[in-house]
Amino acid sequence: MDAASFVQRRRRQLALAALLAVAVALIPLIVKDVYIQNILVLTLMYAALSQSWNILSGYCGQISLGHALYFGLGAYTSALLFTKFGVLPWFGMLAGGALSAAIALALGYPCFRLRGHYFVIATIVIAETAYLLVLNWEWAGAALGIDMPVRQDSWLTLQFARTKLPYFYFALVLASITWLVTWALEDSKWGYWWRAVKDNPEAAESLGVVVFHSKMAAAAVSAFFTAIGGAFYAQFVSYIDPDSVMSFHFSLLMALPAVLGGIGTLWGPALGAAILIPLTELTRSYMGGSGKGVDLIVYGTLIMVIALARPEGLVGLFRTRRREPAR
Amino acid sequence: MSPILETRSVTQRFGGLVANSDVSVAVERGEIVGLIGPNGAGKSTLFNLVAGVFPPTQGAIWFDGEDVTALPATARCARGIARTFQVVKSFESMTVIDNVIVGSLLCTSSMREARDKAFEVLAFTDLIHRAAAAASELIPSEKRRLEVARALATSPKLLLLDEVLTGLTSSEAHKGVELVRRIRDSGVTILMVEHVMEIVMPLVDRAIVLDLGRVIAQGKPRDVARDEAVITAYLGERHRARGA
Amino acid sequence: MTAETIIQSLASGLLMGLLYGLIAVGLALIFGLMDVVNFAHGEFLMAAMYATFGLAALAALDPLIASPLVAAAMFGFGALVYLGVVRFAMRAKANAGMVQIFATFGLAILMRGLAQLLLTPDYRSIPTSWLGGRTISISGIFLPAPQLVGALIAVLAFGGLYVLIRHTDFGRALEATREDPGAVALVGIDRNRIFALGWGLGAALVGLAGAVMAMFFYIYPDVGASFALIAYVVVALGGFGSVFGAFAGGILVGLVEATTAMILPPSLKSVGIYAVYLLVVFVRPRGLFGSL
Repeated sequence: MDAASFVQRRRRQLALAALLAVAVALIPLIVKDVYIQNILVLTLMYAALSQSWNILSGYCGQISLGHALYFGLGAYTSALLFTKFGVLPWFGMLAGGALSAAIALALGYPCFRLRGHYFVIATIVIAETAYLLVLNWEWAGAALGIDMPVRQDSWLTLQFARTKLPYFYFALVLASITWLVTWALEDSKWGYWWRAVKDNPEAAESLGVVVFHSKMAAAAVSAFFTAIGGAFYAQFVSYIDPDSVMSFHFSLLMALPAVLGGIGTLWGPALGAAILIPLTELTRSYMGGSGKGVDLIVYGTLIMVIALARPEGLVGLFRTRRREPAR
Repeated sequence: MSPILETRSVTQRFGGLVANSDVSVAVERGEIVGLIGPNGAGKSTLFNLVAGVFPPTQGAIWFDGEDVTALPATARCARGIARTFQVVKSFESMTVIDNVIVGSLLCTSSMREARDKAFEVLAFTDLIHRAAAAASELIPSEKRRLEVARALATSPKLLLLDEVLTGLTSSEAHKGVELVRRIRDSGVTILMVEHVMEIVMPLVDRAIVLDLGRVIAQGKPRDVARDEAVITAYLGERHRARGA
Repeated sequence: MTAETIIQSLASGLLMGLLYGLIAVGLALIFGLMDVVNFAHGEFLMAAMYATFGLAALAALDPLIASPLVAAAMFGFGALVYLGVVRFAMRAKANAGMVQIFATFGLAILMRGLAQLLLTPDYRSIPTSWLGGRTISISGIFLPAPQLVGALIAVLAFGGLYVLIRHTDFGRALEATREDPGAVALVGIDRNRIFALGWGLGAALVGLAGAVMAMFFYIYPDVGASFALIAYVVVALGGFGSVFGAFAGGILVGLVEATTAMILPPSLKSVGIYAVYLLVVFVRPRGLFGSL
């Protein structure tokens, strides 16, 4: 194991990702079924969202179960700017991202003093408060939410009624960007410091790591990309309301793919999303109305099994095979 | 040349307990100084005070000509004070080399430089063959060396070693002593807390003895070992243990 | 807002607060014992409520009569959850905290799914019970009988818990295991057994709360979720691991909720509690009476 083999491994990861991205990009050319395309878009979106969540909660170890806050912020900022002021969603999503990052930093200031369970509960409580506030905010549509009329298919307004393909490619690009950002951060000062903070904050401090700043940086990056995902979602479904973008359920949905695939790993969130989202969607539709709760049963069992049997996630299956010969 | 480390009348109180009382010691550049004393003498407290874990109730700590009393551990590390932990605190989910890289990133933002430095340090501490192993897989003596390697990677001027030689087999301890000497020879000053007299006394240039929070003796190991107060401190403890 | 209505609201808040405390104390107990947060606690409450409903519907048992039975059943359930799930979660070497969180979370989601599937998402309620619909007047304040009796039961339960912890061998074993889980084996205490019993006790307490609440709350698969969050807030407010903290935290939360409801629109009544939680932990990161 030396510097050269390390560089090689990094290049291989990049090559694999590029290959996968190209392969995925070709799928819609073969699969024309709109329903399946829809599932694919959602899978890619959740891959991106979970990858963003993973940065704060996986790499830096600060488990957030309130990320719906940032997702909702992104969705609402973009939707409100679009419907009330005619601002294009491209700018809207950047605004949402910047706002989310700023709020993440502002919240981080008091929150990162909290340890363990106190922190997790604080994230839940903050997200719930935001949810309740938006629910009662008349200008933002309150419980009725925001409806975005689709006038014509346009890349400018990121609205397409006749085909899912543009959404698909946008989601693919977003998933690729979040993967790339994670890849870059993995081999960077921040990446190393985050993992040190996760494993042992006291030891990290003794090595000169300013734990607080590390957490803040992770939170800001994570919130930024989560919000962009939210803005995208708003354009994808053309209708948002507090329940669909700010609920606790959503916070969970962002975390689960990473937990399943491998929390704190590069490929975990994407792998988890690739399994969890299609599984959920298919279960829900094939079971129909009588299947109420089956998707939850599937989720719940999967999460329990992974947490107990393979806490390092499904990527662990691939890793053990690779390690043996290296000895 | 001024001493690299000075504690000036440092007193540390935890509620009603006085852990360190008016401790004024100095460590010269390039020395290996041993901090010894019976249990409860206040060695760990002094150690933590120098490392910057908490500020002293009273007194000042000077490092390399600068008053660092108000600086926390992270800032002191940036100034050149590195430490190991008695209960090893390795980054369990990371590999050995990655553990060390966390340290070497203090002085450089270039990943390549950080990685090269980490390899250097691993070679220096005789851990290079375990570079790719997960920290959780190391045996205790290797974990100790990893602690030292990580601290060394921050390019310290002063290295604080917390009982790194305790509980080792004689061959491991022998290697440990060699490593400490090599570190000093490379230009790093060392302050070490230790219990194992037979190993420490031949190793250190000077010994500082604490008992009940105060300095009761300091000087060459030979002289300190013959000091009346020191003998009483240790023998007294044995008397107490026998159930007076 | 007359003085009367304010006192009325606060009184109701106090009653609810005592119940919140009862819900939360099981959580605090388990955490104090073994440093694990049961993220399925809300679902335990839900299960107890459904059990009470079942006994009322199928055996015409009044919830008051059913409550000890439900508590006993939940005791067994809690112990089983420890033995079957949590015990394994505690063995994790890396990311231990994460494993515990998600293991119990998975259980919570699973339980909710099962409830939805087997019992349907329909809202249920117990149509008639001895206390249902009755109000008791205490010096001019009208309090609903079920809530009042429920609060009384909560107080009794706290009292019983206090006696159990301070004055019985089991209680002492609990304390000992809490302080030094490694050492207790040396004095013949089986750690696993204590943990299982601890989980059982914690579940029984929330089971008792569930049985009481079934008298005046709708029962549906997601009912646990909202109360769970309140329970976590109560425990975190009072300090994880502190039984007294759960009691005090519960009362505080109940009063804050009642006060908030007087000022803000009803859908925002929880915001007051959340704000108090954040305020408290920002000032005292270990909660009001936390010992960690």
